[in-house]
Amino acid sequence: MPSFIAKYVRVVDYVSTRFGRLAMLLIFLMIGTLLLDAVTRNVLDIPLFWCVELAQFTLAAYYIMGGAYSMQLNTHVRMDLLYDRLSERNKARMDSFTAIFLVVYLIVLLIGSISSTIYSIETNQRLFSMWNPSVVPIKVIMVLGILLMLLQALSTFFKDLAKSRGVELA
Amino acid sequence: MSYEAIAIIMFASMLLMLLTGQRVFAAIGIVSTVAALLLWGEGGVEMPFTAAFKLFKWYPLLTLPLFIYMGYILSESGIADDLYRMFHVWFGGLKGGLAVGTIGLMVVISAMNGLSVAGMAIGATIALPEMLRRGYDKVMITGVVQAGSSLGILVPPSVVLVLYGMIARESVGKLWLAGALPGLMMAALFIIYIVIRCRLQPHLGPTVSEEEIKQMSMAEKLRLLRAGIIPFLIFFFMTGLFVMGITSLVESSAVGATAATLAALVRRRLNRKVMEETVRKTLGISCMFMWIILAALCFGAVFDGIGAARAIETLFITNWNLTPWEVLIMMQLSYLFMGMFLDDTAMLVIVAPLYVPLVKILGFDPVWYGVLYTITCQIAYMTPPFGYNLFLMRAMAPPEISLMDIYRSITPFVLVMIVALILVMAFPQIALWLPGQIYTR
Repeated sequence: MPSFIAKYVRVVDYVSTRFGRLAMLLIFLMIGTLLLDAVTRNVLDIPLFWCVELAQFTLAAYYIMGGAYSMQLNTHVRMDLLYDRLSERNKARMDSFTAIFLVVYLIVLLIGSISSTIYSIETNQRLFSMWNPSVVPIKVIMVLGILLMLLQALSTFFKDLAKSRGVELA
Repeated sequence: MSYEAIAIIMFASMLLMLLTGQRVFAAIGIVSTVAALLLWGEGGVEMPFTAAFKLFKWYPLLTLPLFIYMGYILSESGIADDLYRMFHVWFGGLKGGLAVGTIGLMVVISAMNGLSVAGMAIGATIALPEMLRRGYDKVMITGVVQAGSSLGILVPPSVVLVLYGMIARESVGKLWLAGALPGLMMAALFIIYIVIRCRLQPHLGPTVSEEEIKQMSMAEKLRLLRAGIIPFLIFFFMTGLFVMGITSLVESSAVGATAATLAALVRRRLNRKVMEETVRKTLGISCMFMWIILAALCFGAVFDGIGAARAIETLFITNWNLTPWEVLIMMQLSYLFMGMFLDDTAMLVIVAPLYVPLVKILGFDPVWYGVLYTITCQIAYMTPPFGYNLFLMRAMAPPEISLMDIYRSITPFVLVMIVALILVMAFPQIALWLPGQIYTR
């Protein structure tokens, strides 16, 4: 493996981990916002109309930004009927082959997210509600998250490729 | 090419992709992306991301990460240890009593959480090792833990029913209440099975020794009942307030998550390590579910685009000329078949939009069908080769329990679940009575 690939893997893994560890904390923002909503409406009788929408935005940021880190943690299920019977090395071989599916899917997802974001910026798209927030910020976050997921997928691919040749990469 | 052929090719290629062992979300995602591109050319490029925006609008999904968080807090907080001790002492004298107690424990956990992950984690780490130590048959108790934890999605609250509610546009409150009695009935059937089995083969579940029970005074036994207070409070604050209409669905899950955190705090179990584990695992599992749903929504959109719902309707009703009940049975069978290959969340998102309109046309109650779906889902959860529960069980169970033990253990429980499914099919009132009492239409 050329050294720039090793470096790429290190940098991407580091960045995904950082963003993932940040996204991880958003769970508290979701709990907090919704709790605030429940308490202010029932106890203080002040309905806050923006809470659920804010929580929705948070959820989108949470799983999109956390995606790359979750891939590193290897939490995504696989159908392991055949896969599980392979040796570690063959698993890596299989993964480096099927990584193409993952990568193509993420590229199309990325293209869609970019064109959708451009559309939102041009038309100043807002959610139709009392709060009426702009969707641009969340879409930009989603583009970044999907990009990070794609970079992570490539990093994982390089690691699998190295493993299938009997080398351990970062 | 006919649309039926496209649909079949899509399903077949998805199965093939899944067999390669690639992550489930990627397998579903690529098939739907390629199909979208082939069918609609450049216009199809947007489809995968459009799904992300549809997902964004499904705000009840906020309950998913919150329930996952709550599940991990509950299993780390030690609430389950006390509960287990309570069931242990009260049922220990019975043949197979600890297994019966484990089912009881699972019902209580299910009433606090909407997923089966929590029950699974608690069962595999607390109940299983204890029963193994006391000489219970490992195959039986592995089945007990798996079957018991699957109650998590039937006894309210339930994330599967939230998803179903979004797809079928039914009230989640009604769906949750509809799941309550079938859930309890199924737990009762499990208990009956365990008691009969252990009476016939006492070596499977030896009783706790006389001395050990005598050591416990009645006062102590009663004191152990206090372990039930916290779960009851959590249930009340979450499902209770929701059904009474005080908090909304997503607010309730936040209240539940907070209540669980407070319970852990009061019991002084909330340290940095527990928090770190909980929050990290919550992210991992939430991402897994959300990315699968994201990909499955795209798949569903492609299916919708080629009119698959219509095609199935024509196939079942016009071409095969099936009666409504035959259609219903066909649908359940197809779920069982697909559940062998597909993650059940993906299955729900892909298939329910095809079936729910049909259910309504045939004049069945969609709430009742939601319960049938959930029971089928529970079965699919547990049947090899692809069962999410099997997967978790393997990761969590003590090492002396092999994969073969796990596979063998589920057979009797799956049969019991099929009995429950048939009962609910034959007597819809089991599901519909309770919501009918509370929500007068």
